[in-house]
Amino acid sequence: MKLTENVLEIRNLLKDFPSVRAVNDVSFDIKRNSVHCLVGENGAGKSTLIKILTGAYSKSGGRILLNGEEYNPHNPRDAKQKGISTLFQELNVVDQLTVAENLTLGMEDTTLGFLRKTDKINKMVSVMNSLEPSIKPRQLVSALSVAKKQIVEIAKAVATESDIIIMDEPTAAISEGEIARLFQIVRGLRAKNVTVIYISHRLDEIFELGDYVTVMRDGKHIDTRPVSAIQDRSELIRMMIGKTVFEAYTPKPERSRELVLRCRNLTNHKLGGISFEVRAGEIAGFYGLVGAGKTELARAIYGVDEYQGEILFKGRKLAPSPDKVIAAGIALVPEERRSQGLFTILTIRGNVPVMNMAKVSRHGFINSAQERKVTQEYIEKLRIATSSTEKEVIKLSGGNQQKVVFSKCLFADADLLMLDEPTRGIDVGAKSEIYGIIRRLSEEGKAILIFSSELPEIMNICDSIYLLYDGNLKASLQNGPDIDSEKIIHIVTGGEGK
Amino acid sequence: MNGEAWRAGIKKYYIYVVLALIVILFSVVKLGQVQMFGRGHFLSPDSLINLLRTAVPILTLSGAFTLLMISGYIDLSVGSAMSLAAVVFALMVLNGFSFLPALLATLLLGVGMGWLNGLLVMKLRITPVIATLVTLNLFKGIALLIVPHGLSAIKGSAEKLMPAWINDYARKAVLLGLPWAFYAAILVIAILAVVQRKTILGKYAAAIGGNRTAAELSGINAVRMGWLLYILVGFFAALAGLARASYMSLGDPLSGDGMELDNIIAVLLGGTAFSGGEGSVLKTIIGALIIMCVTTGLMTVIPAFWQVMAKGSVLLLAVVLNHLLVRARARA
Repeated sequence: MKLTENVLEIRNLLKDFPSVRAVNDVSFDIKRNSVHCLVGENGAGKSTLIKILTGAYSKSGGRILLNGEEYNPHNPRDAKQKGISTLFQELNVVDQLTVAENLTLGMEDTTLGFLRKTDKINKMVSVMNSLEPSIKPRQLVSALSVAKKQIVEIAKAVATESDIIIMDEPTAAISEGEIARLFQIVRGLRAKNVTVIYISHRLDEIFELGDYVTVMRDGKHIDTRPVSAIQDRSELIRMMIGKTVFEAYTPKPERSRELVLRCRNLTNHKLGGISFEVRAGEIAGFYGLVGAGKTELARAIYGVDEYQGEILFKGRKLAPSPDKVIAAGIALVPEERRSQGLFTILTIRGNVPVMNMAKVSRHGFINSAQERKVTQEYIEKLRIATSSTEKEVIKLSGGNQQKVVFSKCLFADADLLMLDEPTRGIDVGAKSEIYGIIRRLSEEGKAILIFSSELPEIMNICDSIYLLYDGNLKASLQNGPDIDSEKIIHIVTGGEGK
Repeated sequence: MNGEAWRAGIKKYYIYVVLALIVILFSVVKLGQVQMFGRGHFLSPDSLINLLRTAVPILTLSGAFTLLMISGYIDLSVGSAMSLAAVVFALMVLNGFSFLPALLATLLLGVGMGWLNGLLVMKLRITPVIATLVTLNLFKGIALLIVPHGLSAIKGSAEKLMPAWINDYARKAVLLGLPWAFYAAILVIAILAVVQRKTILGKYAAAIGGNRTAAELSGINAVRMGWLLYILVGFFAALAGLARASYMSLGDPLSGDGMELDNIIAVLLGGTAFSGGEGSVLKTIIGALIIMCVTTGLMTVIPAFWQVMAKGSVLLLAVVLNHLLVRARARA
């Protein structure tokens, strides 16, 4: 087979979801035997693009050429057979098997169902050895570190003659020393005729490892260049966020001085000593990339995860248990609304009052007329699109489901609302409605914490902005006309703050 | 849309239809000379009274069992808990306790057994099936130990007579030919049906079974709720065991065997999802009546060793119907 110069050519690729075009007319090439980095903010379209390449999604339009031939994988297995392997964040190894068994898993040679020792194993093991001699084939995979498990997967991809290995944030869960070793191996893959598509939020890694970089933003392809043609990380950051016009933030005329929440030195498995204060009517935004510790911070305050340090709410120490935290006056809109926020098989009426049943019951007996009344109030107040209070929540759209979660939390009569990714996966119209609701709540004097990985969201509605990186609070800023989005990106991607 | 409405209708009413069909079936079958309780027709007062009297234990227990399954948990030890309660109750009566103290002590024992299950499942987070399989053997083991060597049950003998009043509770007619135990079971069903439909406890059970994470993040103390439900199940298992001992005038350490299966069939027949989240106490009761009709009805027409298989077939029917209905909901 004649080898084309470009291992992969993407032409006018489209991917539509019901409410959004996630990949919009994307075209670029990936050179054979290079390390090609893919960067962009959350929601830029990287993950969708990758999922199309791995066969998890099917494209809505456009063409993809692999080795000059039309490439249209039906599923991840098909993609692998055609030459694209993926190193997912959730690793695809079986802990209870040995390294050698994992290497040949799904490709065993058998006679009448009995395993046969063949050259295949030897070949796999020799590839494994050339990458990382310290991993022994008879070793149990459960004894290996995350980094070494990754190497086992890479070895399997190389030995099965993959043309491309996609690596999705491979350094997110491994130590510094292991990162250096992983980089060595990735660089070595060029010589083994493998192209790497490398996705990372840590921009320094792009400069250290990459040959080419493609920047995506809002589902569109912005540019593809050799990494050497990019001056420094701030140029890359400018490409990532572009001249995004943020909806203007309007400062609050006057700020209440009443202190609502005070966290001192919160520390746990993920958080490295976080301290901050929030006042009544304030919207505080916590911004950081995936794995920065936003959700963990919310869970600690809510009493779900253990922590050391102190949380004072309205001057009182907060007991670390959700029911007590809610009783004290804090409510959480969780990150995953379906799996954490809603009882999807119940009706809207089954969901809205659940955090404050005392208000719709007497001596333990539920007053369903009262339930219906408050549910109807919230349907009107938050404009939930539904025919009745008795509609099952699973039948609502994402935006309306999120409004049900909001209703639930508002009905709890909280003075402090924590919103973890409040607009994830909902369409633009519903988003701006949710922002309207958040602003209204803050005008009513509620303190609000927003945990988000979308910068426009943070810059649009938050009064104060806290930047997280790797579980640490790196900077705190007041929002205003002179806020600098480049500086923010610089800090949350691991750059040193001033 | 029409198909969906049809499916919803079937889901709502099928269990009543099944019960009606079974009753009709056994009524029409000419029983001829076959010996049936009091040699009567299936619908004769005598056989109905007998059917309802033998149904008392499952009627007493299955309401609480439904609440537990709605919350997504299960208790396989209920049969053994019944047996142990029956043995302890009979032992106390035989040794001169009067009814009330024996009743209270038996119920307290039930609370203790439920508490232990709750401790294992909710506090120590042991898988419900494993934890209650273990206590199934534990309770049964204790019941067998209590029965003196050489005897099969706690019962009266020539030296020590079992007081005759022991079967006042579950046999003596007080109204319409039915005993106290039956009316107690009806009262329990009524209370638990209201609890399930109208109270916070019922709502929280559905919430925990529907989505435990969301329930906890909504401030529901799932551990405490689940524990309470296990205690409730233990309590009513003890009451059911007491009724069985009273009915038989003895404490049989094997008398509760298979009760867990009967309860599960009844709950599934009643349309409760095995994974929890929704269900109905009243429909479980209909399911329990179906099981009783099938067992007693069959008892008259087929040999004993076929009855287990027949019951197994009913379970198969229940599981298949439940699966089809749950899948229909998932697709809707």
